[in-house]
Amino acid sequence: MTVYILCFAVLLIGIYGVLVKRDLIKIILALGIMGYATNLMIILFAYRKGGHYPILEKGREVTAMVDPLPQALILTSIVIELGITAMLVALAIRLYQKYQTFDITKIRRLSG
Amino acid sequence: MNHSNGMTLIVRTVTRLSVWLIFLYGIYIILHGHLSPGGGFAGGVIIALGFLNVMLAYGRGFIQRWLNIDFMKDIEASMAALFLAVGILGISFGGGFLANFLSKGALFRLLSGGTIPILNILIGLKVAMALFVVVWTLAIMHLEEGGQE
Repeated sequence: MTVYILCFAVLLIGIYGVLVKRDLIKIILALGIMGYATNLMIILFAYRKGGHYPILEKGREVTAMVDPLPQALILTSIVIELGITAMLVALAIRLYQKYQTFDITKIRRLSG
Repeated sequence: MNHSNGMTLIVRTVTRLSVWLIFLYGIYIILHGHLSPGGGFAGGVIIALGFLNVMLAYGRGFIQRWLNIDFMKDIEASMAALFLAVGILGISFGGGFLANFLSKGALFRLLSGGTIPILNILIGLKVAMALFVVVWTLAIMHLEEGGQE
């Protein structure tokens, strides 16, 4: 149970960064931390006590293995997260080209 | 020394010596994807980080002369088509999409696993080229010019 609470704490750190920080780069990093917390939690759901990785190897008898399905899902999730991060960084660069700043309180020319 | 074009001599020398080992490790991870943890995606990321290492140490101008970025884009795009081709060959010879139509080989040998090593190599090349081209595209964007009102 403790590890899940710690995962939630990491998620809260990410949410804090998104809500409080004013620098666009820090917001993107906080979104990454939120993603890591979610991935870690789903991987921990699949953990079995004393389980090996679910791959057969030469000279190893079949013992308890961790669940491979969440690991495959998380691999896809990491790829999607990479794409999201690249897109956010590109958008941040475009915003910097327009406003010459990463401070979100100064990016307000569109508001009325 | 001109610091705007790459990093210092120490970083350049270490990169020159270590980047080939990084590429070798990535190729090992890709080729052993059906036997051990790893596979196309993990090895492709390692190879892309090797290219990124060269770009950070030597600067963007060097990597533009060293690599053909347009050709890397072509490789990246054609790997998806080749993956689809292997899948359709599975329909023709194996009975379903991505079905195995090659000899399965002996267990735990390098040449085993049917079409899985081929697909791992395709995915590895695609991931390596795509990840490097993404970082390259972000690196050549100018912060100061373009898009100003």
